[in-house]
Amino acid sequence: MLRKSLTALAASAVFALSAGAAAAQELTIFWAEWDPANYLQELVNEYEKETGVKVTVETTPWSDFQTKAFAEFNAKGSAYDLVVGDSQWLGAASEGGHYVDLTDFVKKNNVLEKMAPATVKFYSEYPGNSGKYWSIPAEGDAVGWSYRKDWFEDPKEMEAFKAKYGYDLAPPKTWKELLDIAEFFNRPDQKRYGVAIYTQNQYDGLAMGVENAIFSYGGELGDYSTYKVDGIINSEKNVTALEAYRKLFAYTPPGWTNAFFAENNQAITEGLAAMSMNYFAFFPSLLNESTNPHAKNTGFFPNPAGPDGDQFAALGGQGISIVSYSENQEEAFKFLEWFIRDDVQQKWADLGGYTCSAAVLQSEKFQNATPYNKAFYETMFKVKDFWAVPEYAELLQQLNQRIYPYVVNGEGSAKEALDSLAADWKATFQKYGR
Amino acid sequence: MAAIRTPVQVALNRTAIAAVLVITLIFLAPIYWIASTAFKPRNLATTIPPTVIFEPELSPFAKLFTKRSQLREAPTPEEYAAAPWWERLVFDGGEKVVRSGRGEIQLSAYPNRFLNSLIVAITSTVLAVGMGTFTAYGFSRFKVKGEQDLLFFILSTRMLPPVVVAIPMFLMYRAVGLNDTHWGLILLYTAFNLSFSVWLMKGFIDEIPREYEEAALVDGYTRMEAFFKIVLPEAATGIAATAVFCFITAWNEYAFALIMTNRRAQTAPPFIPSQVGSGLPDWTVIAAGTFLFLLPVAIFTFLLRNHLLRGMSFGAIRK
Amino acid sequence: MATTTMTTLDPQSRAARRGMSDIAIRNLFIIPTILFLIVFNIFPLLYSLGYSFTDFRASTNAPANFVGLQNYRELLADPYIWNNFTVTAKYVIVSVAGQVFVGFGVAMLLNRSIPFKGLITTLLLLPMMLSMAVVGLFWKLLYDPSWGVINYLLGLGDFEWLGDPDVALYAVAITDIWMWSPFVMLLSLAGLSAVPKHLYEAAAIDRAGPIYTFFRITLPLVLPILMIAIIFRTMEAFKTFDLAYILSTQPTTEVISIRLYKMAFQEWQTGRSCALAYIVLIMVLGVTNIYVKYLNKVKER
Repeated sequence: MLRKSLTALAASAVFALSAGAAAAQELTIFWAEWDPANYLQELVNEYEKETGVKVTVETTPWSDFQTKAFAEFNAKGSAYDLVVGDSQWLGAASEGGHYVDLTDFVKKNNVLEKMAPATVKFYSEYPGNSGKYWSIPAEGDAVGWSYRKDWFEDPKEMEAFKAKYGYDLAPPKTWKELLDIAEFFNRPDQKRYGVAIYTQNQYDGLAMGVENAIFSYGGELGDYSTYKVDGIINSEKNVTALEAYRKLFAYTPPGWTNAFFAENNQAITEGLAAMSMNYFAFFPSLLNESTNPHAKNTGFFPNPAGPDGDQFAALGGQGISIVSYSENQEEAFKFLEWFIRDDVQQKWADLGGYTCSAAVLQSEKFQNATPYNKAFYETMFKVKDFWAVPEYAELLQQLNQRIYPYVVNGEGSAKEALDSLAADWKATFQKYGR
Repeated sequence: MAAIRTPVQVALNRTAIAAVLVITLIFLAPIYWIASTAFKPRNLATTIPPTVIFEPELSPFAKLFTKRSQLREAPTPEEYAAAPWWERLVFDGGEKVVRSGRGEIQLSAYPNRFLNSLIVAITSTVLAVGMGTFTAYGFSRFKVKGEQDLLFFILSTRMLPPVVVAIPMFLMYRAVGLNDTHWGLILLYTAFNLSFSVWLMKGFIDEIPREYEEAALVDGYTRMEAFFKIVLPEAATGIAATAVFCFITAWNEYAFALIMTNRRAQTAPPFIPSQVGSGLPDWTVIAAGTFLFLLPVAIFTFLLRNHLLRGMSFGAIRK
Repeated sequence: MATTTMTTLDPQSRAARRGMSDIAIRNLFIIPTILFLIVFNIFPLLYSLGYSFTDFRASTNAPANFVGLQNYRELLADPYIWNNFTVTAKYVIVSVAGQVFVGFGVAMLLNRSIPFKGLITTLLLLPMMLSMAVVGLFWKLLYDPSWGVINYLLGLGDFEWLGDPDVALYAVAITDIWMWSPFVMLLSLAGLSAVPKHLYEAAAIDRAGPIYTFFRITLPLVLPILMIAIIFRTMEAFKTFDLAYILSTQPTTEVISIRLYKMAFQEWQTGRSCALAYIVLIMVLGVTNIYVKYLNKVKER
């Protein structure tokens, strides 16, 4: 038996070696399993047509994406040449030496002029304002809202709404209106509910949702340059914002305690909720009549403003980076050069990808391509993001731990939750000497 | 049971049979639901009340085996007419099949992963059951110093939370070039199943009367010959039962398959739920993937069912 | 259980001269397995033990610093971790007890001549042939208050199986019971069908009641194999991850494996997660050790 295993060990070692040498005219891009990854596969098929280099987009479920990517990085694996990675990863991936420094590439190819400024700032640069770049903005994304146009435009509903709240029923412009409308449409006896929001506490779901409230209420998560959090994450504004989020939770469908993008889209397709929060990149399936019976009656709006007129949204989206351990870096650079070409970016947008190319974003054609592209374009100028430090996942976990019981189970108060969170974050930053 | 058959016993017996049938139905309901979802059109997957009568279709399988993308513009009638039946099914679902730069249909990872699952699960089951049987025999028939401790050590290898071993294993595999290889997973699953296999097989072999072998030894068989010609056939049923359990475990393992393997050797379990990822989970495709993936284990178990029942009882006979 | 060794071969016999010695065969049969398990378990285990005393993070290139027992101290002082332990203990008890109750109960019912017994038994095994992740996904759908089949069939309206913090753990356990009772059933069935029939006949002649028969004849004879089932199910229940992780996000269902996973693979606090894994391992070892001692006692009876 032992001899057999040893033979196996030797045989597989030989196999691994030979396979490594054979992969020359191929590139592998790693991303999560979702529609944009399919669009990207379509796009890179064009690259194969042009150059003969076969590019494969490898995917894994969103829930495993971070684990899989970092497991590969940490072991210095060469399975992936490029990775379309989350913005929060920048700190960990750059400080860990997993990403190739793209600063020269960015400067030489005028990426800064080509891509919308917010996208370069959030998807490429780390640390903030350092002028060091680690990726090329690939898929812009932010959190927006979808809503049921037919419910909003029903004359009877409009009349009743006006009578109750004193203003016209329309897609909300402020968080106050959002709360009113959610309350108005929340009718459990008719199996209709006001709103679907993110509540999942396993990774960044809940954080993205709460950020939408906090940023529009004029709050911040902390000072990204000094790492001061006390008095910022638990500010008055944030307490009010979190209370608003808790109020929204009361108008969600039953059991909305583990909801992220899939559930929130389902809230619309199943006719459960009047409004639903989601990343723009998940909206295509809401327009498709074979997947959403209410496709014709689904509308979209950007995250509403807070009481002081601030209007921001939580950032999603990813940049594409070259993995340091790739054996095909030269080819990967060539691919990136191709990828940022204007015609390719246009094609990327045509296929359904959320290009970050400034020229494409500003074009009439793009803004009218879908009912939500305009809202997306507007939102991308008003985005803020979570911490991108290497220990971001610990910060996320602490946020989940403190905020979830308050938002979902109504334990304690918003103030208590945020105060504890401030203390947690402070301790974490201290631990890492920031 | 007993030969005495009073009316009360007959009634009790009937009640028991009825209860068994009801319980079986309850246990099978979710399975039936998964299997039927695998043949449903997408819009009937989550209806309330649940759709029981529907025209079964193969679109979930067409989708399962292909790489797809949202359809932006409807296909022209000519395109539609020229497409093979399965591509039409994909079109009907508002999606299209992605083609490579050379115009070839792109298959999803499923068929490949399925094959990997077969290779890995079968080989590791053979290894685990084989090694387990030898070792169990060794423990059962010979004096081993610290037998109880060694057995507990073997058992303890199954107690480790996978996380404890995952990172070191990963680094070790990287160093010897075992990651993303079939052998990498095979060895892991073998190690994982060995404890179970040794414990169960020891139970079975303990019950095989030693007199059988002793008689063979007296007849001039060597110990080895006695093991292969006398003990193994006697233990066949136990081996079958152990194999079923080992196969099920290896077939469905998720965490290590996810971390240790990529494109080349990854098995199907991490792939099946990936269909949830897109904006709206297509339950029919997940169900189709699950249904097909259930077939090999179900068939394997069904073929061994008589061994399984006899095997289990054999192991439990006490002296 | 007899532990005496067989009569050894007469060294002068023909067979002994022809074949390998008993000692050689014993070593050949046992040592490779032990070595194999050492390579695959002890080695990584020592590795992790080393890490558990450091602040190592696998995601960075920074060298690991020795921090002594700090990881263990901080973990054991964290109330959230204690909550995870409490949840896990509750989960293991509910889920394993449920599986034994259902599994053994069904085995009792099945232990008679029933038409298509082989087929029924195989069908009952189907749940455990699915992967945990898939079971989690589908049960989440089944439990859903808005589009789930369970509430519809039971007429429960919008009862929140997984959303209610007081119910969620039981909902997860029910799924686990559905999936793994068949395992207990199969092993129990094996034990039951091995009980010599003459014992029941004797009991019937003695006019022993069914309760007496069960506790004096059935249970003691089935116990050894039932204990093996319980040992393996307990070990697996301690490790439950996929199922609980996919089904519910309530803090009341956060079993220790979920915390372990987040710490090791999301936060990449490798050193600390190794320490936590060791704490878990020691607990499982302790519990299993008690079981095994009991099992050995049962077998000796």
